[in-house]
Amino acid sequence: MALKYAYHPGNIAHSSATEVSQTMEPTARSLGIELFPMDGATSCGAGIIRQANDLLQVTLNARNFAIAESMGMDIITPCAATAGNLNEDLARLKRDSLLLAKTNEVLQRTTGLTMSGDVGVHHLLHVIIDEIGLDKVSQKVRNPIDFPIAGFYGPNMQQEGACGEDDVFDPQYLEMLIKALGGEPILWESRTQSVGVPGLFSEEATVLRQIASTIDDAKSEGASMIVSACTLSHTALDVYQGKAGRATGISTNIPVIHLTEMLAFAMGHYNNRLAQLRTRIAVIGD
Amino acid sequence: MILFGSESGNSEDLATIAEKQAKSLGLTPSVKGMDEVEVSDLPNFQNILIFCSTWGEGEMPDNAVDLWEAANGDSPPSMSGCNFAVCALGDTSYEFFCQSGKDWDEWFEKQGATRLLDRVDCDVEYDDPAAEFTTNAISLIASSGTGVANPPEEEPSGESEELSGDGASGPQAETDSGDLEGLLSSGDRSLMLLFGSQSGNSEGLAAKISKDAKSYGLEGEVHDMDGFDFNSLSGKKRVLIVCSTWGEGEMPDNAEDLWQFAISDSASRLEGVHFAICALGDTSYEFFCQSGKDWDGQLEQLGATRIIDRLDCDVDYDAPAAEWILEALPALAAVDSTGHFHEEMVDAIKMYASGSSAGAEGEDGFSMPEVKSEPIQASVSVFRYDPETSSTGTDTWLCSLPGHMSVLEVLRTLKASQDGTLTFRDGYPDDSNTAISINGRLVLPGLCRLDSAAPMREGSVSLRIEPLPGFEVIRDLAIDPWSLERKRESSKPWMVAATREGAHTPQGVMGKMDPAIASSLHSMKDFGSQNILHSSSDAVPHANGYLGPAVIASTWSRRNDPRTSPSKAEEIDKMLSSPIGIKAETDLASINRQSSFPRAVSESLLVAKNSVLTGDGFNGKHGKHVWWYTWTVKSSGMVNDTVIYRQALGPFALLGNLFSGVTARMVLGFTRTGGNVFNGMLGMVAPPAGIGKMPKQFNSSVENHHEVVAIFNEMDGRF
Repeated sequence: MALKYAYHPGNIAHSSATEVSQTMEPTARSLGIELFPMDGATSCGAGIIRQANDLLQVTLNARNFAIAESMGMDIITPCAATAGNLNEDLARLKRDSLLLAKTNEVLQRTTGLTMSGDVGVHHLLHVIIDEIGLDKVSQKVRNPIDFPIAGFYGPNMQQEGACGEDDVFDPQYLEMLIKALGGEPILWESRTQSVGVPGLFSEEATVLRQIASTIDDAKSEGASMIVSACTLSHTALDVYQGKAGRATGISTNIPVIHLTEMLAFAMGHYNNRLAQLRTRIAVIGD
Repeated sequence: MILFGSESGNSEDLATIAEKQAKSLGLTPSVKGMDEVEVSDLPNFQNILIFCSTWGEGEMPDNAVDLWEAANGDSPPSMSGCNFAVCALGDTSYEFFCQSGKDWDEWFEKQGATRLLDRVDCDVEYDDPAAEFTTNAISLIASSGTGVANPPEEEPSGESEELSGDGASGPQAETDSGDLEGLLSSGDRSLMLLFGSQSGNSEGLAAKISKDAKSYGLEGEVHDMDGFDFNSLSGKKRVLIVCSTWGEGEMPDNAEDLWQFAISDSASRLEGVHFAICALGDTSYEFFCQSGKDWDGQLEQLGATRIIDRLDCDVDYDAPAAEWILEALPALAAVDSTGHFHEEMVDAIKMYASGSSAGAEGEDGFSMPEVKSEPIQASVSVFRYDPETSSTGTDTWLCSLPGHMSVLEVLRTLKASQDGTLTFRDGYPDDSNTAISINGRLVLPGLCRLDSAAPMREGSVSLRIEPLPGFEVIRDLAIDPWSLERKRESSKPWMVAATREGAHTPQGVMGKMDPAIASSLHSMKDFGSQNILHSSSDAVPHANGYLGPAVIASTWSRRNDPRTSPSKAEEIDKMLSSPIGIKAETDLASINRQSSFPRAVSESLLVAKNSVLTGDGFNGKHGKHVWWYTWTVKSSGMVNDTVIYRQALGPFALLGNLFSGVTARMVLGFTRTGGNVFNGMLGMVAPPAGIGKMPKQFNSSVENHHEVVAIFNEMDGRF
């Protein structure tokens, strides 16, 4: 029976990362996940709205939870930043009954909705490992992704209570998945570290060094490709990698793809894109 | 013995519950179906609980039929000396309600057994009455001290676990010698503490002993000898007397009456009582500690057992008494509720009380942490750096070590046995300077057990030990903390207080602070190790000059301190909003996930950032980024990257991106993703937005967008 989830695509899948939306849908189909769009859901805030007004982000996300609760489903997202932020706010609301009551009061007044907290937030990676199982994933593999692959988690999802049964600092889920898809998982230290996305526009010099350091770590350990479980971090690692390389003098050329892309390619979707990826890895190098 | 006659399993369930309850009180019950025992076995048990249902027209359940017939045969056994209680299950809608239980109840009585408590007849809703019956019955047996197991050697056939054997089986041990936890937590654990006191010293000492007794699983009951019922001691298992001597070897006033009774013919015998005497006196008197000596002799004469030699204290009694208590309490604690002294357990009890036992849990809710564990396989990889050759690398040791060892102890072991050059900062377990990184988790190694330092995988634990990030490394794991100290110094962390009014107190005029504010200020700085907090930021190693979260948190606490002068607060505000202040932190998520300090610390950093951005009017790149991100969410419910790029970066930075390759990588994103060149019509109408990975120029609004606007209007009218 298909697993049913309320689908939150993250913050940029509608815009600068349309490849996430394009690959998430066939991936879910292959894995037996039925995605139900969360009509009306807003951005998770990405930890940025919080910097302007903490309770504003909590209330916006409370509305997201209320929408999912009305659908009777847990939330799934392919973005680690979204999973992390939603989980953080959900945990706060569940932990602090006074905050929940006040937030519900505002929600009720402004939207007519209320939330109870009876909802879960899951990253696609955790659903795959904890709910679907790697055996089933292995059975679905049509095109083994047979490269040395560095899996990038980022810090948002790697919080207590937000990363399933995985370890916060020494996770294994992504490596296990890479192995199940036929790849060679690379163990590298920077996989749960921040690449500074919230400071990308304001502290660019620092962020470029963070990006370069992270990519350098993956390359030093022998990775041919980075797969990112965080769509926001992907932007930094992919789009800004050239600028980071030039700013630091570190070689930063490496293909960086989204988790959903890797899954879709492995399960036989978009074979032309996989062929293109192979060319990038073998010939172009980024 | 707990017997059940059951047809549907209900009686058997009740018997099982009774078994658990009996065990929790230190009894060793045996549960058997009625088809598992012979009627000739029944007299062997001193206590028998019956749970029996009724079937059909008042008939025995199937598994009870044979036993019932045998019990009513030609020569039914005498059950004299046996205690019994019956819980009958039935259904009032039947004529012969609970008939089987009634039959057994009558049979036991007829055979001479003693009814422990009245039979309980349960209807189909039997849970509550049956539970009450079970509790009462088990409590009665436990308090009678007869619910004990025969020593195994007396019952080689395995019958040793019955609730009771016959009364002639001799002394019975309640607890296996290895079962320390059971001994210390089950049955009667009371310790009678009697004091005979003239000046209050004995009373104080008795109170102290009572308090200490808790550590030994004993429940001290302190009694003044005045008015105490001496004969009540006969039912006790442990007695400790603290008594001073008065005048010429006389009892203190409050002890005289009790003493007179104790030496009279009316005094009960005290067999089964273990006692210890602490006598207080003064060697300058002829009859030094005479009262204590008298009690010692009299209790022995009445049949009580001296468990430890009497202590005779001079006027400076504190030290000898403290030493004696450390011997007396474990010995008394080794007496079980039947009065049996487990001498072999005394040493284990001492270790338990000193905190080095394997751990135990008591029924009163306290628990001793388990500090010893089996050896585990560990792969320990340690970062090495030799400053003389400027070479770095990793040494890995595969070893088998006790899981309870701290990582600091592991490092010490490696240094002592494997490589004397291994360098790390040693210290007390909570020494913040010892902090290291274990698989990315920043910890104080003295407080981190090996078996919890990292997840166990395939039977072993793999540690990657590195120096704290964000600091210069001196050698191996030793970092130079002075870079942080210099930053702290530059932040001018000292207090510049405002002149304020004090409060008159008995100690003079003193400043005071609202408790809530004091608590809040404390929580902001409650991070234990400033080195760890500093390292928790992933921006610190890459941000030149950034003061780091440890300095920021301390400074923010100072900023919120109501004692801080306005000029100092203004100075702090400037520093926090400077390029090396809180805005230099690129991602608070990296700090949030560290568990070595409370969440309140990272939350205070967020508040500091919010305060700075608000103070700056959301100007500058940082403020604009936050402002326009939030604004775009209000405007459509979704993020509009194009607006953020344009507003936060401005025309010059956008132009810079054009030449730095960022824009090119966005526009040409389709060459890497294999996706469409144009994302919708907008890419063609208003390029370059919508081409490749360039974000869209405009977003369509989410469904019920008015709700989003309403939330914004309600929560923050600035946007």
